[in-house]
Amino acid sequence: MLMERDATGALPFAVDTSNCDREPIHQPSSIQPHGVLMVLSEPDLAVVQVSMNSREYLGLSPDEILGRPLGRALGDDVAEDLARGIERMEVGSRPRLLRIVTVEAGGRTWRFHAVGHRVGDRVVLELEASDGKPILDFHPTVDRFTLEVEAVTSIPELTGLMAREARRLTGFDRVLVYRFDEGWNGTVVAEDGNGRLPSLLHHRFPASDIPAQARELYRTNRMRIIPDSGYSPVALVPSEDRASGARLDMSFATLRSVSPVHLQYMKNMETASSMSVSILRNGELWGLVSFHHREPRTADFPIRVSCDLMARVFALRLSGLEHNRGLERRMEVRSACSRLVAVMADRGDFVSALKDFPEDLLGIADSTGAAILTEGECLLLGETPTEEQTRALASWLFAEGNQDVFLTDSLPGVYAPSSQFKGVASGLLAIAVSKLHPSFVLWFRPEVIQTVKWGGPPEAKARVESDGVVTLHPRTSFETWKQTVRDRSVPWRSSEVEGVTDLRNTIVGSVLRRAEELASLNAELRRSNKELEAFSYSVSHDLRAPLRHIVGYAQLLRESAVGKLSDNDERFIATIIESSEYAGNLVDKLLGFSRLGRSELQKVDVDLGVLVREIRTDVMRDAEGRDITWTVGPLPTVRADLMMLRMAVRDLLSNALKYTRKTEKVVIEVGYRDEGNEHVFFVKDNGVGFDMEFAGKLFGVFQRLHRWEDYEGTGIGLANVRRVIERHDGRTWAEGAENLGATFFFTLPRRSRET
Amino acid sequence: MKDAMLKPILLVEDNPKDLELTLLALARSNLANEVVTVRDGKEAIDYLFRAGPYLDRPEGNPAVILLDLKLPKMDGLQVLERVKSEPNLRAVPVVMLTTSREERDLVLSYKLGVNAYVVKPVGFKDFIDAIQELGVFWAVLNEPPPGSLRPDRIR
Repeated sequence: MLMERDATGALPFAVDTSNCDREPIHQPSSIQPHGVLMVLSEPDLAVVQVSMNSREYLGLSPDEILGRPLGRALGDDVAEDLARGIERMEVGSRPRLLRIVTVEAGGRTWRFHAVGHRVGDRVVLELEASDGKPILDFHPTVDRFTLEVEAVTSIPELTGLMAREARRLTGFDRVLVYRFDEGWNGTVVAEDGNGRLPSLLHHRFPASDIPAQARELYRTNRMRIIPDSGYSPVALVPSEDRASGARLDMSFATLRSVSPVHLQYMKNMETASSMSVSILRNGELWGLVSFHHREPRTADFPIRVSCDLMARVFALRLSGLEHNRGLERRMEVRSACSRLVAVMADRGDFVSALKDFPEDLLGIADSTGAAILTEGECLLLGETPTEEQTRALASWLFAEGNQDVFLTDSLPGVYAPSSQFKGVASGLLAIAVSKLHPSFVLWFRPEVIQTVKWGGPPEAKARVESDGVVTLHPRTSFETWKQTVRDRSVPWRSSEVEGVTDLRNTIVGSVLRRAEELASLNAELRRSNKELEAFSYSVSHDLRAPLRHIVGYAQLLRESAVGKLSDNDERFIATIIESSEYAGNLVDKLLGFSRLGRSELQKVDVDLGVLVREIRTDVMRDAEGRDITWTVGPLPTVRADLMMLRMAVRDLLSNALKYTRKTEKVVIEVGYRDEGNEHVFFVKDNGVGFDMEFAGKLFGVFQRLHRWEDYEGTGIGLANVRRVIERHDGRTWAEGAENLGATFFFTLPRRSRET
Repeated sequence: MKDAMLKPILLVEDNPKDLELTLLALARSNLANEVVTVRDGKEAIDYLFRAGPYLDRPEGNPAVILLDLKLPKMDGLQVLERVKSEPNLRAVPVVMLTTSREERDLVLSYKLGVNAYVVKPVGFKDFIDAIQELGVFWAVLNEPPPGSLRPDRIR
């Protein structure tokens, strides 16, 4: 490889030496010996600096040239011709070929390519010695290359073509197309060679091989050549411009001498000559075309210009191909996305839409597996981790928080438990659907085990000497150093990330819409609750009043007609009164029941032991003289609405008393057991019991399993119990058998869940 | 106690049946107080403030106001509020007589300074008992000295 290793190169992961900034790689004040460099002042074109080798090429020592007009060195005719060319050069333009210059010196005839460019107010004139062959017309070569480039349809094809044509044009032993990745590591993506130099195809070179400063030079000056790495540098005299005292900026000088470190590097690579042409895409360094030859070799300036032209054609086509490939993928992603969006909109539910179109779901991200996690569900599609692993992953993502879209091509690197399932999910792309719950759509990609060939171990490059000085040691061996890259998936493309981001927006939109619908349902519910309240309010007034009147007037009738009524008449009136009172009672009970469902819970700590004793004393007033044995076990303290719970316990205890009325020796047992997350309470009696067939009816409103004459009551007690317990997130049920007693159970959640 | 010294009982009741039954109940409680009946909230206020048809009535506040909750024009709670915000009337005991068991009515009534709140029982006997108890307590046993304010009992 041709590597400008003039700069220090940082120790990877360690020191970032500032030598980079200190070493003026563009100001060596020396040149390679395959030509002469002169710095001219304007407008007189007098020589202000010249390379020490002027005598060899021009037959004149620097002293004989310095301070003299250019014509002194090259003859007036040539100088005048060059002056015309120089006049046309624009400031800041790249070196251009001005003309061929022939000079007789040292008993031979030299043919030079005279190349000029401006640096500040100076003109740099370089006379590059050529082999004397006439300048070829490279137009057909570039033309053919352009035609071929237009025909290729893939990037590998294009890079292959570039390497082949560049070698055909230059005749170097080996031509490489070298591409930078996002971390500025380089990979040889194409190669053409005659076998005289080892193949480096697919080799990687660490970013430190070409430090940032050298890369910047590659970007601004697209061409470099070192015809013979064994050269001895030739100094400029004077080394500084006398007028300014500054060293010449040689960034664009084609003869510029390179760092000895770089020459060592070339020797390690067994190449005597090298050349490179930068490939820029959108103004950024994309890669290099790199030329090597075992023996010293050069390529004339016009050939190098042709190579540069080819590299630019290459870059244009590359952009086009990448753009097309990106577009195609984008189209695929978009159409999959819009299909899913349409189904989602149609169904109003993203889960079922995604589930029923797995091909589009997987296709969007070009993934092998996907998972949809919502509050309750975990749907797995394709090749995925297990449900348990997926849920754990989602919890981790949720805990990490905040990112709407998360992606990695090395999940084991950020989430260690995933090494268990890296075979299916080394790559993860995730979109968060909710800020409140771990709801996600996840895409997985399997591990891709890559073997990467490095041009030597990527870390071994510089070492720190005992005195603390960092010394560069170009690798002495370019034997392939293999590294197996594990725990990685194929990286996610930007089009895919955009696709899932779109999808996320749609999902979040639809989730929001549902939330709005729920909110409006809630509002409706509140409205109808209000109506219900108004209804029961008017029932309590309007229905009770006439019942009271019936009772009142019937009473008055009985009084005013006393002595005039038969026994039957008396019985009729008594029934009117009794029924109306009963109806009033029912209305009251019903309203009480509806109030239980509506009123807010006011939870306090309730010692159930105390509550049960208190209620027992109370209900026993109606059971004086009966033979009743109470067994009340220890009872816990619970968190509940005291009023409601009192009502429920009272109903249960008075039921127990009521339905044991015909039992001789009554035993009533109250107790509880602890079942982890809830308390289970029971009230057990040895009364009439009930037929289990009707157990389901027991807790209904106005449900009765016994005849009026036997057991009075409105049949609302157990409905109240159930409502109270359900309001406390508990359950109610009953067990029993006819004439064998009944046991009523209810549960209350343990304290941890209580507020 | 002589009849002339007794202040009247003001009964505010719109429903004629309830009115009749309440009057009967009061009659049976052997109270000597005159019972003044008005049929809506507005009329009650007129009576109490000696306005409208009651412009010319003799001065003096009732011994107790038995006030139905649901009334035309101005309901019982509004009447209660007027009575309790008038310094001259604040001391007059007000007993809410209502069919409603609704908690919010009860809470509101106490907030406004009601002296007692009675849900009319469906049973006639219970009703008579309740009225009698009330009448005796407020009209006889608990009669405040004329003109004096007894704020300690009001709220």
